[in-house]
Amino acid sequence: MISIDRSNMQTDTVDLANLPSQDTALEIRNLDLRYGEKQALFDVSMKIPKKQVTAFIGPSGCGKSTLLRCINRMNDLVDTCKIDGEILLHGQNIYDKKVDVAALRRNVGMVFQRPNPFPKSIYENVVYGLRLQGLNNRRDLDEAAERSLRGAAIWDEVKDRLHDNAFGLSGGQQQRLVIARAIAIEPEVLLLDEPTSALDPISTLTIEELITELKQKYTVVIVTHNMQQAARVSDQTAFMYMGELVEYADTNTIFTTPKKRKTEDYITGRYG
Amino acid sequence: MGKWFKSGSPWIWMTGGAVSISLIAVLGLLLLIAWRGLSYFWPADVYQWELQDQQGNKSTLIGEIYDREEVPTERLISAGHKFNQHPGEFVTRYLVKTGNREFVGLDFRWILATDIVSRSTPEDVAKFERTKNGNFYGFPIAVIEDGQRLALEGGALETSLIDHINRAVEISNEALALQKSDIGSINYEIERLRLKERKYELENSLTAERKAEIAAGIAKLNQDYLVLEKSLFALRDKAARDSVIIRDMRGEEVTLKLDTILDVNYVNHMSFIGKIGHWFTGLGRFVSHDPREANTEGGVFPAIFGTVFMVMLMAVIVTPFGVVAAIYLHEYAKKGPITKMIRIAVINLAGVPSIVYGVFGLGFFVYMLGGSLDQLFYPEALPAPTFGSPGVIWSALTLAILTLPVVIVSTEEGLSRIPSAVRQGSLALGATKAETLWRIVIPMASPAIMTGLILAVARAAGEVAPLMLVGVVKLAPTLPIDMNFPFVHLERKFMHLGFHIYDVGFQSPNVEAARPLVYATSFLLVSVIVALNLTAISVRNHLREKFRSLEH
Repeated sequence: MISIDRSNMQTDTVDLANLPSQDTALEIRNLDLRYGEKQALFDVSMKIPKKQVTAFIGPSGCGKSTLLRCINRMNDLVDTCKIDGEILLHGQNIYDKKVDVAALRRNVGMVFQRPNPFPKSIYENVVYGLRLQGLNNRRDLDEAAERSLRGAAIWDEVKDRLHDNAFGLSGGQQQRLVIARAIAIEPEVLLLDEPTSALDPISTLTIEELITELKQKYTVVIVTHNMQQAARVSDQTAFMYMGELVEYADTNTIFTTPKKRKTEDYITGRYG
Repeated sequence: MGKWFKSGSPWIWMTGGAVSISLIAVLGLLLLIAWRGLSYFWPADVYQWELQDQQGNKSTLIGEIYDREEVPTERLISAGHKFNQHPGEFVTRYLVKTGNREFVGLDFRWILATDIVSRSTPEDVAKFERTKNGNFYGFPIAVIEDGQRLALEGGALETSLIDHINRAVEISNEALALQKSDIGSINYEIERLRLKERKYELENSLTAERKAEIAAGIAKLNQDYLVLEKSLFALRDKAARDSVIIRDMRGEEVTLKLDTILDVNYVNHMSFIGKIGHWFTGLGRFVSHDPREANTEGGVFPAIFGTVFMVMLMAVIVTPFGVVAAIYLHEYAKKGPITKMIRIAVINLAGVPSIVYGVFGLGFFVYMLGGSLDQLFYPEALPAPTFGSPGVIWSALTLAILTLPVVIVSTEEGLSRIPSAVRQGSLALGATKAETLWRIVIPMASPAIMTGLILAVARAAGEVAPLMLVGVVKLAPTLPIDMNFPFVHLERKFMHLGFHIYDVGFQSPNVEAARPLVYATSFLLVSVIVALNLTAISVRNHLREKFRSLEH
């Protein structure tokens, strides 16, 4: 068993199964996903609470990233991908035909595994999403850029070179820039797909601190294969294995008294 | 030995050797063209030979050595030459440019080394460049100013001659400018009024009032024309005031009017610096002047202008089409056998012989499209075609089709090299596919688009065969851009360096005189293409620097 200092974490647990709808950010119902012939997700159902950090953990290929990418319909880009089931955001199924995917993605932001800034200046990277919405007022953009960069804890490092190319930043800075870019359009949900896997330990620490900050304003869903990280930053943890949601509970419970054998084996390092 | 093979050295030598051979071939070609083309402008010495042939006839010859070769004596004897004493196995033969075409019939002559009694480089021999009949070589004796023979000798004569020629050249240029711009404009306006009248006539709206108005307009223009014509004739008379008396190689005194002379040079006592200056002046004139005498003399400016203008027009047409086609193929078209076939067809399009495109351009663009345009918009000019005959716009369009595959292929390559992470980053921020394309993908693919454009420009600038069908002419009287409304005349025929090379080299009435021009023009064509490419490459490098994320 991994010893984790959880003294600074909140201890009041939420009843995830009977989460009232005003506290639910997202509800996933009976989600099946196939890539061509191969089924990648089996009947996943869960409720993700508002303004908390939910972590998906599990061994490689267990479908945690796939599940995450379902939430803002990034899987639409894969031609062979077929999805059954529902994901409800504000009581509306996001896979409904009427849903505007671009609008959904404005509401559900995403940060990827590797930092992917655009080949533009730092400033233009941050205001990209706002410009897409037709915002061109210089003062508004400046304000939004500063707010987002402060929100992503990178303002002090870049405030003097906002108009330099974003590629001049270090990997960790780039990742925080990408987070700033995502929160500039003020989404409700922020999806983080292994946001620290390409970063050094110090950058990782900064990002983790940032995630704890972010949950004040956003619902955060993070995929990680680093269990300590899940334990450090998340309030809820979902353990997935072979495309199935094995166990989903508050992080404390998962890491101290898991109910399922598979979960216990995984977090004690017997496989994965 | 086996070990040496295993070490890989032979492979390295072979590959390295192949590269060196290619490089040497390209550099050798360029050097040859550059040397032969550029040395044409270097002022060669003018020699005076005293000749005595085997029958004992004496003669004098003045001219430049143009070429020399060793001829087997046997061949000369069998051709009917008689030698008093056997000159050995080979005889040197010189090709001499004697000029003075109107007096000696041929301005190039072969002389045998055995006939030469003596050779000298007289200091006071002068080379005259003339507007007609090529060069004139001889000894200036006197300047006649307005009928008065000026009594001058030596250096004073030289200075006075140069001054008088400069004066005549200046006045001639003035007359030419008047003729080209002012009188040209008046003719253009008269033609426009005539077309306007014809248009009213066709529309059955030619009222007496309009007719009178147009007639008045034409009358006024004609009046202006008469005034201008008068001043033109006055200028011409002024230019023809003086003349020069020259003793030529026959020993006869010839009088040349100064308005036929462009330049005079005492080549034999020119200093080295003077020669360099002369070389640059010659080169400058070559690139900035109009051709003369069926393109065998003068410059190639209209051809340079035509080439560059047509290529740029082509680039403007081909880029949007190629990029849009590539975007559809790469981003929107479903991956399937039909897309695959279209892609193969596009690539194969690049292998179609260019003359086929010329035929297509003539049939489709010139006759069908141009003919329809004429009937719709220019019925007043018919039966004379406006767009219904070969022109620069049709050449540009034909070459645009010819180079389309290159642009499509390299744009597609560029699109496929853009990391999907960046596209997804944009989509995840709520951009639609079209927004992602416009804001992220196309800017990032712009270096690849530029590469396609560079290849297209290189191909198009060197293409001649299709152009002969759709717009190029031996001599275009006007440029596609001038000061007459609407300033850009896309329907006009134009001159092209590539065609100029063919025309000067193979269609010229004076092959010997034209030969160095072929090299000079070839070198110029290569330089123009290199210049166009370097411009495009520097733009591309700038873009690459901007989007260097692709490198990692």
